[in-house]
Amino acid sequence: MAKHSTAFPVGLYGALLLALCALTIPAPFAPVERALLGGAALVGRFVAGLVGTPVAANTTPAAAAAQRVAALHARLDRHGAAGAPAGLVARFDPAPCTVVVVGGRGGGGGEPCELRLDRTYAELADCLPIVTQGDRYLGHVPQPGGPGAQDDALGDFARVLLANHPLARSVHADVEVDAAARLRVVVGPASAADPAPLRVDLWDDPYQAARLDRAFLPVRTRDVPGSASAAPGGFRVGTTRIWGYPRTERSEALTLGVYVTPDALPQALSHVVVWRQRGAEASGPERRRAPTTRPGIAHALPGAAHGRCLLVADENLADGAAVLQDGRLLGVAKGLAGGAALLTGFGASRQPWNLILLPDDPAAAPVELHGAVVHSTGERVWVRCRARATTQATIGPGQLFTGSNGPACPPGLWIGAAAADPGDFDQIVVESPAPAGACAVHWCEAEGLP
Amino acid sequence: MIRWVWWFLIAPQAHLLAGLWRDLGLPGFDMGVVWCLFLAFFAQRTATPWLLLGAALSRALVDESSLPVQALVLGIPVAVLLPLRTFFFGQRWLWLTLAAAGCAVALPRLSAWFGAWFAQPSASAQTDVATVLWTAALAAPLLALLRRLPPCRGFEDAT
Repeated sequence: MAKHSTAFPVGLYGALLLALCALTIPAPFAPVERALLGGAALVGRFVAGLVGTPVAANTTPAAAAAQRVAALHARLDRHGAAGAPAGLVARFDPAPCTVVVVGGRGGGGGEPCELRLDRTYAELADCLPIVTQGDRYLGHVPQPGGPGAQDDALGDFARVLLANHPLARSVHADVEVDAAARLRVVVGPASAADPAPLRVDLWDDPYQAARLDRAFLPVRTRDVPGSASAAPGGFRVGTTRIWGYPRTERSEALTLGVYVTPDALPQALSHVVVWRQRGAEASGPERRRAPTTRPGIAHALPGAAHGRCLLVADENLADGAAVLQDGRLLGVAKGLAGGAALLTGFGASRQPWNLILLPDDPAAAPVELHGAVVHSTGERVWVRCRARATTQATIGPGQLFTGSNGPACPPGLWIGAAAADPGDFDQIVVESPAPAGACAVHWCEAEGLP
Repeated sequence: MIRWVWWFLIAPQAHLLAGLWRDLGLPGFDMGVVWCLFLAFFAQRTATPWLLLGAALSRALVDESSLPVQALVLGIPVAVLLPLRTFFFGQRWLWLTLAAAGCAVALPRLSAWFGAWFAQPSASAQTDVATVLWTAALAAPLLALLRRLPPCRGFEDAT
């Protein structure tokens, strides 16, 4: 009977409840976790200290990596505004911006609906409020303190309300039904439960709209004089999705709703363009610079086939800090107390990554991807990517870089050579060596970012 | 007090030692399963939450997910198995082998579920058949050994 009375493990259930609380409200528990893991890593640090200090990194591979990064930035600049309407290009200059954070809940189609740029509202004061990428319209920058940015001040990093944000402005657009026919529509944000991020709210020809029997029709913004539409004409908004009944032998197609799927996947966005008045001086510091890095030593932990290392540094690392070896991304670190961190190699990580593929074809535009590592063997890593249909086909051999993965993992860090997986076109194969032994590394600071 | 110092000094290194074992070319096994079985069938009930913390720290050193996820992944099998201690008390080799096989399958599944729910995916969510089989084979003898060594010996339930 004594055993029966103690069979109900109250303490254990309490511990599990506490763990659930820590996952639901992580902020108060994070310092405790850092301290506990930092303490647990002390034995490893002691053993690592006995191993000694590795030699400094070779400079040649780092210089080669820097050249690749420069090539990426040059290509991003070249393609950032390619395809934009000529009328806009004649009066405004494109100003490339980097996305720091992708977020926002309640966006149309259940997708993220906000970006944070690496420039403040004040720096963008003389710019058009629209945000684009190539020939795509993405969204607009709200007024600080206004709808969608009530808590923002002029000195804060600018927020972008994507076109699927509940407070996004609707745009006038044309659905290109065929070479000659256009269906004039007003496109606005869909609800979170809708099957696509954007929804056609109004059309000028309901009869034609009700008989749309094909999806994937291109949708472009349209100039309407005197209109409050957010976007100038000529930008691509996306492609249509039809919600309704298909044509049958006995009845015509019946359209109940027309949705629009943007070409750009919000989670994959890392570089966007704002439009500055021609001749206006850019204010603020030059943002696109090499990230600030600090030195450290990574010691591969036993069983590091999983790509796990103990990183010893002089300062505390931010969670998610990128770690580089010879200019190449090794992985991301989880900061611990006492200047230590646990590094997970790129091949061992299973977190979602925002990535940029720079095709070897010099005429091809960089491809922004959102993916996660699914498998790795030795130096080869398989990444399952998610992209819109329009970009999926463009994945070719090239060099893979990080996109925007948080304040401490900036875009443009070289990962390795990549090519489409011939067995699965949704995957790419990346050459990314796993960390081994003890090696000198550099980790990125989350300096000056939100 | 001394036994707790030993526990929090040695237990968090267990997964690293298991990794060292694999690096030596020996068959890999899931150390988390061994901790689950020890906590469920042999450890003092009152000490279980703190012992679980040490085991979760051990797994968090080698796995990408956070400490609370590790506590849930290891703690849920313990919470399920612990009431069965009334019937399966002691070193019952066949029962421990079966329970180890079950835990070796359950732990990656739990890692995958919690990883998906709390956006903390990790490589440990993948089930490896060889690891399941070797864990089932090695868990019972390892438990027999661990129960005789500090720090586990100090926490064994005498009832």
